Amino acid sequence: MKLERQQISFQQLQEKLNHALAKTPNKTSDTRVGLLTSITGGEIATLMLSPTDGTAELMVTALENNKFPSLSTRHAQFHWFERALFDFFGIVPEGHPRFKHLLLHDQYPQDFFPLRKIALPDDFKNHLARRYEYLEVKGEGVYELPVGPIHAGVIEPGHFRFSCFGETIVNLEIRLGWVHRGVEKRLTEVPWQKAHFVAEAAASDTALANAFAHAIAIESILDIAVTERAEYLRTIALEIERLAVHIIDVGGIGTDIGLLGVSSAMGRLRGKALGLADLLSGSRFLRGFIFPGGVRPVSERKLSEIKAGVIALKKDLTPVIQILSDNQMATERMKDIGKLSKSLAHEFGMVGIIGKACGLECDTRQQFKQGKYPELAPQAVIESGGDILARTAVRIGEIWSSLDTIEKLVDACPHGEEKVAVPDKLPANATGLGIVEATRGELIHLIFTDEEGKICRYAIKDPSFDNWTAISIAIRDNLIADFPLCNKSMALSYSGNDL
Amino acid sequence: MLRLINYLLKQGVATAKNICPDLAEGVRGLPMLTDTPCQSGCSACVEMCPTEAISVFKIDDKNNVRLDLGSCIGCGYCVDVCPTGTIQNNPTTRVAVRTREELILTTAGASAEAANKEIVLQGRTSSKIPKADSLDKAHWFSRSVAARVVSTGCSACDMELGAAGNPIFDIERFGVHIVASPRFADALIITGPVSKGMQEALVSCYGAMSSPRVVVALGTCAISGGVHKGGYAEANGVENILPVNVYIPGCPPHPWSIIHGMLLAMGKEHLAPGPKK
Repeated sequence: MKLERQQISFQQLQEKLNHALAKTPNKTSDTRVGLLTSITGGEIATLMLSPTDGTAELMVTALENNKFPSLSTRHAQFHWFERALFDFFGIVPEGHPRFKHLLLHDQYPQDFFPLRKIALPDDFKNHLARRYEYLEVKGEGVYELPVGPIHAGVIEPGHFRFSCFGETIVNLEIRLGWVHRGVEKRLTEVPWQKAHFVAEAAASDTALANAFAHAIAIESILDIAVTERAEYLRTIALEIERLAVHIIDVGGIGTDIGLLGVSSAMGRLRGKALGLADLLSGSRFLRGFIFPGGVRPVSERKLSEIKAGVIALKKDLTPVIQILSDNQMATERMKDIGKLSKSLAHEFGMVGIIGKACGLECDTRQQFKQGKYPELAPQAVIESGGDILARTAVRIGEIWSSLDTIEKLVDACPHGEEKVAVPDKLPANATGLGIVEATRGELIHLIFTDEEGKICRYAIKDPSFDNWTAISIAIRDNLIADFPLCNKSMALSYSGNDL
Repeated sequence: MLRLINYLLKQGVATAKNICPDLAEGVRGLPMLTDTPCQSGCSACVEMCPTEAISVFKIDDKNNVRLDLGSCIGCGYCVDVCPTGTIQNNPTTRVAVRTREELILTTAGASAEAANKEIVLQGRTSSKIPKADSLDKAHWFSRSVAARVVSTGCSACDMELGAAGNPIFDIERFGVHIVASPRFADALIITGPVSKGMQEALVSCYGAMSSPRVVVALGTCAISGGVHKGGYAEANGVENILPVNVYIPGCPPHPWSIIHGMLLAMGKEHLAPGPKK
């Protein structure tokens, strides 16, 4: 949707946040914060979302002297946003409880702030060393266990620093940023007509959702609407992506529990879901399918093949998922492990699977316009346990709801054109927002254009950015041996977080 | 558990017998150049390309095309806009090669070789990379190869590598094992553009392996940086950090292409010979 940049003072911002983020975990349809960032380095921009009516507000607060009193002290949700503000803009959140670099590592020069557009103040002193200091837990019998950045399996890099007492994890500090590739900056450098390729490279299994959010944001700036058929096809593609990721993640749970038959079957069935993606877009990862203005053409024959594929997949998945759900060993392995309370999930602004598993109603498909949603949105899958079992249940629930939704959408998909003409130029000083419920949760693309209509700031908030802290919280006081399973149940994205 | 075994038995053998087949109709592979002459004055493909993988140049007043598959992300837009059919979709999955030069296609034949070489060298800006291990016969690993994977990108290539291990493709039947430590690895598979954050970790992983080592650049980002090339994070591909033995282009490459690349790394390309040049 198109946004206005409302100028407000810092004090007004604080009041607004205190009101909106008051501790009311049982009343979940409150206003919440989508993201906190900056445009040039001279201000902070806060995106507030109202899920009940599907609207959003953007507050821009000019900064004096390049700093502001940290908001994290009162609203825990901001603790990573504020660290990223320093990394990329050199803005100092004064009094931040754990102020250190987030994504840019030791290799970068001391005063390197890649997204900052305005000069640093003359008296700017950067007291924060590039060298990263981990939180140290002291005491007799406490030891540290460093893991990563390169992991044992075929997964993305990240560093986990466990402080353990015996088998029990006392503290887990997560250090990411290893795969920071400068995606947000690159999105302002390429011609905007080609930016969707870069947006897709933000995270592999969220490629389609990223292209979708990008397209919504650009189209809202341009004030164009895509055809009804394109809306349907986009929504179908989004559900196919969700389906493929959920299938492999449920299979991954099987791997970590030791039910290898389940994981091998799910690996094979994911191939079938990717086959649906191939049919729709010619790419297993739905690359290049969505672009501002529409989607690639899809024939009716392919749509009916997709429907047949969905029906077959439903039949194939049923016995495997049944075997996993009925397995007593699997259930006991997942129950009450890696538990996250609803109140903490609310306080830290958790989204997606993790939020839904704690009972937060945070499915943006029911809240914000994206393709054929919220009109045709499936019922959100909400669990209350907050543990691995609940997260797996949400995934399984979403597998079924995605399958049903694809079938319904294919049936209802109207004929017509797949794309509309797109103007050559973006309007000046415009702000566009795209919100999409990616597999992992709420994905936000926020685009700012300058006086010449060029994209001057492109902010992406992957759901993983909100959710990484959940692992640290959920794994505390659990056994170290439960970490892989807990991690898998959340299955967060490293590349989407690091960008 | 008995139910699970029963289910698996009923599924039968899923593994494909035909190795590295062509892609199904309608599925995008990498582009290829055909013999059809390029239309003079046209540069539609160059304008569409998101990674500057295509250039058009003139020899004797005739338009020629150069296509760097090492930079190509396979979006297929050039194929869509090409008016003459000079650029077409290539359905083959046998796309892996041993030298960077082989990834640069041109309609100009031998007369463009010098310029092709130039592009290869442009991608290698660092002079500090270690010398490649001698792999003259390339048959060191013909029975089996233990591979360590270092992921430095968006992870699509990792997922396709994971898929290559599933029952349909079953990369292990060719003797390729993914291992959990560089200490007992023969091959280092690198995905992603290796931005600043991962460079040190990658070099130490390579250093922890014993010789001879074979390095596989998996995916367009690993080969050239792809869409990330030239940014402040120095995500310009593996070649600026380590010597590369096998290149597998694609964004991401198909699991069959990954298998093809690993067969090259083992010197077993006769199992899936590439297209005749």
